[in-house]
Amino acid sequence: MSQLIWLHEDCLRATHRLFTEAASADAARPIFIWDDVYMTAMHYGLKRRVFIYESLCELPVDIYVGDTIDTLKDLHSRLGVDEIVTGKTPNPMLKAMMQNLRAEVKLSAIADAPFVQMDSPPDLRRFFKYWNKAKKNAFLYDGRP
Amino acid sequence: MQKQPTQFPDRAALVAHVKALSPGVSDDAVSETRGGRAAAEALLAAIDPTAYGHSRNYLDGAVTRLSPYVRHAIVSLNELRNQALELGYGKAIEKFIQELGWRDFWQRIYTQNPDWLWHDIEPYKTGFVASDYANTLPQDIATGETDSAAMNHFIHELKTSGYLHNHARMYLAAYIVHWRRVKWQAGARFFLGHLLDGDPASNNFSFQWVASTFANKPYFFNLENLQKFAGMRAPCDFHTNKCFGGSYDDLALKLFPKMAAP
Ligand SMILES: Cc1cc2nc3c(=O)[nH]c(=O)nc-3n(C[C@H](O)[C@H](O)[C@H](O)COP(=O)(O)OP(=O)(O)OC[C@H]3O[C@@H](n4cnc5c(N)ncnc54)[C@H](O)[C@@H]3O)c2cc1C
Repeated sequence: MSQLIWLHEDCLRATHRLFTEAASADAARPIFIWDDVYMTAMHYGLKRRVFIYESLCELPVDIYVGDTIDTLKDLHSRLGVDEIVTGKTPNPMLKAMMQNLRAEVKLSAIADAPFVQMDSPPDLRRFFKYWNKAKKNAFLYDGRP
Repeated sequence: MQKQPTQFPDRAALVAHVKALSPGVSDDAVSETRGGRAAAEALLAAIDPTAYGHSRNYLDGAVTRLSPYVRHAIVSLNELRNQALELGYGKAIEKFIQELGWRDFWQRIYTQNPDWLWHDIEPYKTGFVASDYANTLPQDIATGETDSAAMNHFIHELKTSGYLHNHARMYLAAYIVHWRRVKWQAGARFFLGHLLDGDPASNNFSFQWVASTFANKPYFFNLENLQKFAGMRAPCDFHTNKCFGGSYDDLALKLFPKMAAP
């Protein structure tokens, strides 16, 4: 199955789990879409944009300029890939883009290695409530026993 | 569709290229902090979680400056914690790992309640209601020309380097919200526009913590505290920072007059 790896700003690491999940022999070169409208909505000035671009230059990635959804759809059909693989993110804007793409394309969003593994969701009303639960595994390698 | 270049003769050429791709961006500052995994690995190799435990609150303390890399997952919290475990053990590194937990905590809230990002999670506990706070950032804060030399120093650093020490962020956020009575959202937008690590969750929820819309009380400080933790890096003398002078009780009366006991 051929895959297109989509790197967005929340997964700019070559050892992110999405790369192992997407380890298909014919995976195309990962892509990043430089989306000016998105970056403006995120309040990114020149400092941040330079930082992101510099980070991309050290990754095996092709950078395209354009609207994220249009560019991904276009590449998806031009390359004839079966699936888009990307990194999971809490960012609602990126999540909405993924949702939009899923209407036409198979897309998997892979979570990075977690900081701490917990058997049930922690109480997030205050940090100390979260930490009382998290600390059981947070001091262990890979955050788990 | 054209692939963009990833090799440039020098940094200036890369910056010029990014500028050309960013027609709506008006500010010109570029941080000395370099993007990419190589720069992150150099910082990762230099972390000192033991020294961090006792010095992290001081502006010259042993903090990592890894936040822009963590923000974009160039370094993961998992590998940062694993690295700390390899360097130390027990109580000495607990504080370091707990601070990493703050990021995890904010990210989890972000995932669960994305609509909290720009909305007050709880009411202010300052005696004021949200409408008592100004919607926009005063110009003298945006330009770093306030009546506090320390705050001007932090604003300048934020705008040029894109980084502030955690304590400096707390001071500046508290100054904006409590001394100037400006909505935390205006301060949060200002920070996000400049921080290299600017993260909707860590930034906005920290602002809500300072403001007291996600805490049981507002965070504020006095000059003595500022001098102790920031004096070695920022101009903190009384004459250029008068508004922070006095005891915590004096300042509470001044900043939160409606909270005074009847
Ligand atoms: C008003 C305000 C705004 C902030 N905005 C941001 C932001 O936009 N992005 C951001 O990453 N952090 C933010 N923080 C949290 C914290 O100030 C920074 O993460 C930290 O100062 C980054 O410097 P460092 O990498 O040297 O941190 P270190 O102290 O060396 O910590 C190592 C890593 O742990 C994480 N971390 C440590 N402390 C915190 C914390 N209190 N909250 C969340 N993560 C933490 C960061 O990823 C950091 O890189 C904010 C704090 C305040 C008070």
